[in-house]
Amino acid sequence: MEDEIRILLVDDEPLVRRSMEKTLIRAGMDVETAAGARDGLARFTAALEEAPFTLAIVDLHMPDLKGVDNPDAGLELLSELLARQPALPVIVLTAFDEVERAKEAITRGARAYFVKGREAGLLELVHTILEEEDKEGDEK
Amino acid sequence: MEETGPRKKILCIDDTPTVRLLVKRLLSHRYAVFEAENGLQGIDLAAEIHPDLVFVDLHMPYLTGYEVATRLKTLLPHTPVIALTADISANVRERALASGCDGYLSKPIDPDEFQERVEAYLGGEREELQDNSYRAEYQGMVVQRLEQKVRELTQALEENTRLNRQNQELLSKSQRRARLLEAAARVSRNITSILDLDALLHATVDIICEEFGFYYAGVFLVDAGNEFAVLRAGRGEAGAHMLAQGHHLPLDGTSMVGAAITTRQPRIALDVELEAGRFRNPLLPLTHSEMALPLTVGGAVIGALTVQSTDEHAFSEDDITALQTLADQLAVAINNARLLHDLEEAHAALLRSKTYEAIALATGEAIHWVGNKAAPIPGSVARIREDLARYLIAANALLALMPPDLQEHKYATLLHEAADQLAAHDFDVEAVHSALEALSPRQLRRGVTVDSMLEDLAIIEGSARAILNIKEDLIGPARQRRVQTFSLPELLRETVASMGIPADSVTFDFAAETPAVQADRVQLQRVFINLIKNAMEAMEGRPIKRLRLAVRRAEEPRIVIVEVTDTGVGIPPEQLDKIWMAFYTTKGDRGGTGLGLPACAQIIGELGGKITVASEVGTGTTFSVALPAVE
Repeated sequence: MEDEIRILLVDDEPLVRRSMEKTLIRAGMDVETAAGARDGLARFTAALEEAPFTLAIVDLHMPDLKGVDNPDAGLELLSELLARQPALPVIVLTAFDEVERAKEAITRGARAYFVKGREAGLLELVHTILEEEDKEGDEK
Repeated sequence: MEETGPRKKILCIDDTPTVRLLVKRLLSHRYAVFEAENGLQGIDLAAEIHPDLVFVDLHMPYLTGYEVATRLKTLLPHTPVIALTADISANVRERALASGCDGYLSKPIDPDEFQERVEAYLGGEREELQDNSYRAEYQGMVVQRLEQKVRELTQALEENTRLNRQNQELLSKSQRRARLLEAAARVSRNITSILDLDALLHATVDIICEEFGFYYAGVFLVDAGNEFAVLRAGRGEAGAHMLAQGHHLPLDGTSMVGAAITTRQPRIALDVELEAGRFRNPLLPLTHSEMALPLTVGGAVIGALTVQSTDEHAFSEDDITALQTLADQLAVAINNARLLHDLEEAHAALLRSKTYEAIALATGEAIHWVGNKAAPIPGSVARIREDLARYLIAANALLALMPPDLQEHKYATLLHEAADQLAAHDFDVEAVHSALEALSPRQLRRGVTVDSMLEDLAIIEGSARAILNIKEDLIGPARQRRVQTFSLPELLRETVASMGIPADSVTFDFAAETPAVQADRVQLQRVFINLIKNAMEAMEGRPIKRLRLAVRRAEEPRIVIVEVTDTGVGIPPEQLDKIWMAFYTTKGDRGGTGLGLPACAQIIGELGGKITVASEVGTGTTFSVALPAVE
């Protein structure tokens, strides 16, 4: 498919990750997953030339680039992704009680944050961001 | 010298030194002159030297010349005693002769006549008293003088006795005062070091009674409402009884304690029968004297000390002073104890708030963790609902294409009713149908699968299981314990079997003789289940999977060690400390609660043991549990 939507989903909680993955796949999206920042960055870099991702969804608290559990791993990955593809829309995943950290991610260039738990909401958020992207693309 | 033989001895008794000097000058070239400055001295000297002639002054203090002459006449009857006097009153000469003098010379001394007269007296000349009435007069006078002397002596004796008694009283008073002050100091020393208020008060009443020998002592403190003086400590059975009754007195003049507190003055009843303002206590029938002393600190009265004695008039000024000093010390000590109590309260309050904080933090962590675990459930549920609807609607769509005779088949009825139920549950049956119609056969096959539904059910199950596990981990260590003595190798074999781990994948490395341990078997088994589960999970996807369980004696006595070793991924050094923290988990992929190891550490800690870990990334991990052995 030529305008296939490719999404990179990085989260260390397997059930959370799989559930979100299924929701996105059902919406017709192509999803690649990773369980930590290191793996996520590797997948992103590998795909960059051939089939770059349209959007990344990144958890905050997970193993970081060194593989060590780190509450700021998502921020680390965020800067790596933006360094390679500055216009990439990134959604930061957060627990309901970590919204402040997620807001900090916005100031560091994330497009939006999403509080885990209501996956229909995540899907809406992804659609909204992609529509905005399309509009900007049309304007250009 | 003109004369041979021993020189004659002349004694001069006169209180005037110039007279004695003159007599000596006039006579010493011919006679041996002796001097005495008063009557007693003169008599003693005369008895010693036996003079040949004595001159005596008539007017001397203590013993007069008359009395000396009388005495000398009996002592040395042949020695002439000559009065030497400046007295020129009438009949002096007669009175002198009546007293026993043998001659009379008037002063001032005429040197020429004096030497002549001395020689004459030595030569035997005597003057005779003509009139005997002088003798009687003199005797009367002597008796009078004697009587006066006796009086003076008696008085002096009485005075001496009185002074002596006074001295003794002062001495005993000062001894008692010293003893009281010493006791007060001892009491103060003892009580100021007691910081528990009740202990302080009870020690005080006991010490007061023991040190001062009183019948009863009690301490009252003013209550918070400032209405009553409440008994806080009382000596002996009476005290215990009154304490049990909650004995208290109003703060007014109706009791000695109340009065002492309201007036801030000591109240003393030296004879309680006469004291109106006194609570007559049937529990203290022997009280005859009672004293209530206010306890004052920083200008405020905090209570009163009552002291009772079986004696009337038992309290001296010194007792009162000593006990008031003691009461002041006691007040300070009570205040200190109260301040410490307040400080402890404040500390406890702080501790409570810290505990709440810690609980809030732990609760926050728990909520965070549960929230994360629960996160996939709504998504999975939504998908299953959607898939269910899709299957039923697809089945109904297929049914609609079937011949009419099949529409009454029992499965057809089932499917129709299922579709009706979906509609009743607000499913947009038409919309789902249209969506299904829009999909290509291939898309349909890929998008709607039983596999997906089962997977979503598994996701829900997994999430629920993880949440349920945390409950076990949280309450596990707090479970009621049933302590048994058992062998560790047996427990480990049983545990491995119960976990469904094939025995041939485990190396049991048990020493020949291992001591038993004493613990709650179920709890200890939980520890090993946790450690073995961790080990198995660490080895998932690893080329070599080898679980080793070892039991051996430690080098130190009475300790047995269990080792759980895996050939898993290992734990990076920077994570080794964190694994004991509650809610910390490295098992992002495998759904740990982050409570397993902290719970293990707690259980082992409560058994008096220790759990340690050694790990190398890429090689494996060993958890060692050291437990006290039963020998």
